[in-house]
Amino acid sequence: MSSGKIRLNTDWLCDCGGCHVALVDLHEKILNVLESIEILHCPVLTDVKNYPEAEIGILTGSIRTEHDRHAAVEMREKCKTIIAFGTCAVYGGLHGAGLAHSREEIMDHVYRKSPTTRTDTIPDTDVSELAKMVTPVDEVIDVDLYLPGCPPHAHFIFESLKTLIENREPRVTQDSVCGRCTRQMVKGDAAEIKNSLDGVPDETICFLSQGYICLGSATLDRCMSPCPNHGIACTGCAGPTMQILAEPYLDIRSEVSDRMSRLTAIEQDTIKTHMEKTAKTQYAYAMATKMIGNKPTFLIKKWIADVEAG
Amino acid sequence: MAKTINIDPVTRIEGHARILLECDDSGTVEEAFFIVNELRGFERILVGMEAHTMPQITARICGVCPTAHHLASAKALDNAAGVEPPPAGKLMRELMYMGHYIHSHALSLYILAGPDLVFGLNGETATQNVVGMVEKDPELTKKGLRIRSLGQKINEVVGGRGIHPVTAIAGGIATKLSDAQYSRLRELTGEAVELVSELVPVTKELLLRLLDENPVLLDKLNVPSWYLGTVNNGKLNVYDGNLRAMDENGEIRAEFATEAYADYLVERAVSRSYAKEVYLDVDNSEHMYRVSTLARMNVVDGMETERAQKEFEEFRSRFGRPCHNAVLQMYCKLVELVYACEKADEIMNNPDLRGESRVAAHFSGGRGVGHVEAPRGVLVHDYQIDEGGIVRGANMIIATQQNTAAINKSLKEGAINLLDGGDDEKMLNGLEFVVRCYDPCLACSTHALGRMEFEVEVTRGGETIRRIRRN
Repeated sequence: MSSGKIRLNTDWLCDCGGCHVALVDLHEKILNVLESIEILHCPVLTDVKNYPEAEIGILTGSIRTEHDRHAAVEMREKCKTIIAFGTCAVYGGLHGAGLAHSREEIMDHVYRKSPTTRTDTIPDTDVSELAKMVTPVDEVIDVDLYLPGCPPHAHFIFESLKTLIENREPRVTQDSVCGRCTRQMVKGDAAEIKNSLDGVPDETICFLSQGYICLGSATLDRCMSPCPNHGIACTGCAGPTMQILAEPYLDIRSEVSDRMSRLTAIEQDTIKTHMEKTAKTQYAYAMATKMIGNKPTFLIKKWIADVEAG
Repeated sequence: MAKTINIDPVTRIEGHARILLECDDSGTVEEAFFIVNELRGFERILVGMEAHTMPQITARICGVCPTAHHLASAKALDNAAGVEPPPAGKLMRELMYMGHYIHSHALSLYILAGPDLVFGLNGETATQNVVGMVEKDPELTKKGLRIRSLGQKINEVVGGRGIHPVTAIAGGIATKLSDAQYSRLRELTGEAVELVSELVPVTKELLLRLLDENPVLLDKLNVPSWYLGTVNNGKLNVYDGNLRAMDENGEIRAEFATEAYADYLVERAVSRSYAKEVYLDVDNSEHMYRVSTLARMNVVDGMETERAQKEFEEFRSRFGRPCHNAVLQMYCKLVELVYACEKADEIMNNPDLRGESRVAAHFSGGRGVGHVEAPRGVLVHDYQIDEGGIVRGANMIIATQQNTAAINKSLKEGAINLLDGGDDEKMLNGLEFVVRCYDPCLACSTHALGRMEFEVEVTRGGETIRRIRRN
């Protein structure tokens, strides 16, 4: 630590690159961060090729290939504190939904069934074989801190880096997306479940009260609740709340259906069944994690297969 | 026995992309391949999901161009539901998109390609990054970072979030602009317009210097091809319009609406890459073509805004039509950066912006196709949706994928000339530069932002003859 600065490595595994753009999106605050942090290995900002020793290691994305696995292990060896950064690293993320399909099914769909593809070729030379599963980072290495979010809001990124720089215990807030949502939760008389295009929802009233599925109450706030405050119901991109993760019989659909049935005239079972039928949407971001996958009532593959069968 | 040269961006060895050069016995490069080595399978993943969430879900395909996917998706849903967003909904989508363009082009010019501009192509690797740039040229770097930030904030105010925006839905935008949002947008767009006029002369000077100092690359990167881009009444429009195809001689050979895309665009899977190649099918034969900024500058007749039109005219008088040189993508980005700032400002002055932003939309079963010009080129989303609103089929044509064939051809040209020089370091820099000129947004198919580090392996009959590594 010749410069007296805290050294930081980052690397991206299988992801969309958005979490690294989120680091750049600290905007002016990035200059504050740079005063105390020396960025070593970082695929967007620097040319450092190997993994130098560092105090902090940020890993974004999930594990898909041998390369991802190797990078995660290297980072673990060289970094004192590893942060699983973003929903993909923590829960597997959206492409975790690939678990519902076999590799053959995916390849067949992309290379043979696409309406614009005129060839009958499956890539098999000079490319690595696709891994069977997408796995969250902590199934491969030990993780010290988790910062989910798709991507996490700059507020949480800055807070977490700041506590690490100041050598404080990070303050882990456990609020759900409802915490910063300005809508009013009221008992309404909605009798049917709507999708976001049915009518125009009242901007001041909770989506659930109006009969729209919103995952806000079951989702950890790492976003500052932009969606419900911009007319869009929460899609759960930061993953489930701690309460849901910790309790085997609690789940996204049990939590949402319970709350929604109290706020409307719709039966809890009706809502629950609806959420199972739309499970691929409701569990889009977190279905690859064992924290959800190991719950005894979670039958995602069956729900998806049933819907696809028509 | 022919030998094979294998170039891996080291941080992405097995993961994502690499370059393969196949030489004959005399050492001449016969074929070059830019290999995309990852597949997430989104076209399969989307099947079975609720269609109304597609704009939010598909934004996650790419963290570098999420707004392009978000809007292409919303337009596909409009099409499936048979609705047109009201004027305010369309304007808000465009405004969000201009913010995204400012962010994306500034990121590309000032952070990713910035080191090439400030340090030249053969500068010290250790300082060739944004931190080194701050020291060498603090004024330019800070302004570049600032304008990127303004763009991202415009995107965020309208889209709810900057990365993975959420507000576009079938039928428009979920909520209309509030007074607070409007006045915030005024500040942001006003500053962007001012800043871009300061950035243009100095950036242009650096670009022209780079071209002067590297005549060989400039000369060798002239790869004639067809071009595809979006025009609205002949002028550039990245949000909406017809697709126009131009041949390598500059003749306009086809102009078609989004819905007809499958009649003209042909995908070909290749055995050595997960990215499919795309060809234009016109007059019963298939043609290699390019998309992105250079393609757009070639196909359009002009720009919708005043200063951008001036920059466009200067570009065209310098480099002609069609201009085949991939190095000039950076110059084209500068022209479009001016356009995006001006257009954002123009939208802010349009009174229709404050009206109702959505109409009701309902899926009664059928297909929906939508396209936008992503910063890196034409992006098409095509969904089959059932009566229950569930996605039953999905097809996407991604910008970068359409350039693969041209990237391979440019690499081959570049490698033939660079290999003869005998200077390994120069070859690595040169090939990397070739790839970067195309600015492949690999998050869509994989990702390789920033400077790639290379390892070159020369093999003959499976045996490694030498290994070149850049560090």
